Amino acid sequence: MAFLLPPLTGVVTRMFHDLFNGRLAIDIGITLFRAISAFSIAAISGITLGILISRVRPIRWFFDPLLSIGLPMPKVALLPIFMLWFGLFDASKILMAAFSASFQIVVTTWAGTRGVERELVWSARSLGASERQILWEVIFRAAMPQILTGLQIAMPICVIVVLVTEMVMGGQGLGDSMLRSARYVDSPGVFAGIVEIGLLGFCVMKTMEVVRRRLLAWHQETQKDH
Amino acid sequence: MGSVARSPLDQRERSQGASGGITISGVNHEYRPPRGRPVLALDGISLEVADREFIAMLGPSGCGKSTLLYLVGGFMPLQQGRIVVNGKQVTGPGPDRGIVFQNFALFPWKTVRDNVLYGLEKQRLPKSEREEIAQHYIDMVHLAGFEDSYPSQLSGGMKQRVAIARTLAIKPDTLLMDEPFGALDAQTRSLMQEELVSIWTQSPTTVVFVTHDVREAVLLADRVAVMTARPGRLKEIVDTKMDDLPQSEVMKTRKYLDMVDYTWNLVREEAIAADSEKDR
Repeated sequence: MAFLLPPLTGVVTRMFHDLFNGRLAIDIGITLFRAISAFSIAAISGITLGILISRVRPIRWFFDPLLSIGLPMPKVALLPIFMLWFGLFDASKILMAAFSASFQIVVTTWAGTRGVERELVWSARSLGASERQILWEVIFRAAMPQILTGLQIAMPICVIVVLVTEMVMGGQGLGDSMLRSARYVDSPGVFAGIVEIGLLGFCVMKTMEVVRRRLLAWHQETQKDH
Repeated sequence: MGSVARSPLDQRERSQGASGGITISGVNHEYRPPRGRPVLALDGISLEVADREFIAMLGPSGCGKSTLLYLVGGFMPLQQGRIVVNGKQVTGPGPDRGIVFQNFALFPWKTVRDNVLYGLEKQRLPKSEREEIAQHYIDMVHLAGFEDSYPSQLSGGMKQRVAIARTLAIKPDTLLMDEPFGALDAQTRSLMQEELVSIWTQSPTTVVFVTHDVREAVLLADRVAVMTARPGRLKEIVDTKMDDLPQSEVMKTRKYLDMVDYTWNLVREEAIAADSEKDR
């Protein structure tokens, strides 16, 4: 029975063990490093592409069908190609996760920038703002709530894909450690891994919420909480 | 209110071209929906607005009065005809023509102060001067104490005051107002009308004021241009300059009541025409 469902004490003991021998810190550090790198790449490229799509007609024409194909597709299915192109180490894991997460950011940025009311843009223009200033000071800012929603969806995708690539390719991190435990039929290790992943996810999501509240201090959604 | 001393800020550069005012000649405008036939929104509009005149555009909804305002603002490309503002042909939007919208169009992520400062920042004035001007206009619209509030924390009337302060702060020669009080409740609206008149007497500019409220138009404007149902043509221009009295007094005068009555009859015919157009 202990093999199918290890006792809670066993799992907790295992986690303390991981914590004190430094294993946990290293695994979380590596997974988090990969996830945050992937997230940064996805955020920068996704927001840029989303804005370009909403502003430049030929780019929209080109990417619109690609997004419709790519969005529902399980992007990890391309992992063998990423391994082939970018090797077996950090680069392929990070790029795989960035690629998977960028779709959500592109779509929400596009939707957000498209929905900016024209009176807001006209006001800025009549107050003397240049087209570039309008893009960054008005359209980007007005789309911020939706862009942040995209980022909040993208962050867990990054964590998930990084864990999956670690499970498939190894190379340390929480995903690798967990799968290794599974190979040695070390069920407290597997369950400890699940709990650790859960805690990591919780911390990441809460951090994103704090960031959102900070950036949207002006927004009604934030003010209702007070 | 007419004798209120002008503040030194108001005497700052206001370019006074010899040919002030607005000349609109032969403007046609077609609304082209993405699908379906194009609709003629404006049909041969010609109109002269004198320098520092307050003119109201009145007409049934859908008659193109807002479109005409947007064309004067340069927000939409002019399809046919000519619009000259202060001697300059309109080719695009510019800070010489300030606009106030019905839905306020404030930057919701900026505080009241930063909203008012936005246009001033584009003018490359020194920081202290910018802040002084912004504060002057915030005080003028009675929003002192709310400088650090966000628009979402303000009432509708306060938001519209911020929008007015933001527009006035850049000292436009021409003020374009697109149903500015249409989203406000009746009490707030009449307070805002009084305030607008008092601001305008302090520093008169050319005003084009779009509204569908006949009383408002007659009360505020020197002349009221009544437009027909679609396609929008000029039906009649009514001289509605009222005696120099406080607003509450003006509203009791025979002249005001007759004017409202007369103008309402003009608009009524068009409103009925616009309504039957809808049913077809």
